[in-house]
Amino acid sequence: MSRINVVFFASLREKLAMAEYQLEVELPLSVADLKQALAREIDTGHHLLEKTVHSSVDFEFTRDQDMIPSSAREVAFFPAVTGG
Amino acid sequence: MIQVQEQDFHVQELYQSLLEANVTGAVAMFVGLVRHFSDLPVEDCGFELEHYPGMTEHNLKSIVNEAKERWPLLDVTVVHRVGRLSINDQIVFVGVSAAHRAEAFAACDFIMDYLKSRAAFWKKETQGENGQWVSAVEKDELSLKRWS
Repeated sequence: MSRINVVFFASLREKLAMAEYQLEVELPLSVADLKQALAREIDTGHHLLEKTVHSSVDFEFTRDQDMIPSSAREVAFFPAVTGG
Repeated sequence: MIQVQEQDFHVQELYQSLLEANVTGAVAMFVGLVRHFSDLPVEDCGFELEHYPGMTEHNLKSIVNEAKERWPLLDVTVVHRVGRLSINDQIVFVGVSAAHRAEAFAACDFIMDYLKSRAAFWKKETQGENGQWVSAVEKDELSLKRWS
């Protein structure tokens, strides 16, 4: 099992009422499976399953089907970006 | 130079830093500002910009590197503000210097397109005590197709 740090941003952070969460998971694991695991662990976690949730692994944008490698340090979930 | 910062920036200073004597033939610059988005008085409206420290800088570096691979550029500067902003404040500066205007214009346009859809920033409009996260716009994502 690996301990992974998960961070949340913007409207998703507010909906979940948390900015960060650590959990023990077996890696590699897909982003979609991590969402499911978090949705089961966190009371407000169902928001992670909304279609508008985007993700990154160690600062690289990812999709649901992407695998989180065993070397991963941080996964982030957030709404679509709106900079500029 | 890539900079994510709370403080305002000075366009003239950033412009000067892009110049290389006897070499620079063109500088294209873009400045994004906070528009008045509500019927409420300007002083009651504001903006909050959130980012993901580390990832945002990583995204911007990737975008600038991609631009440098596509066009022969001399220098690129990107400054993006975060934190609380007011109406009419400057948000973002993109400056590109090159030997000729075509690549300077194109690279500046490319960097702004990708910055809007591929850099970890989130905007929240505030009106008095209320805040509303800005939704991503489909045309920004479609605009990326121009470069593929």
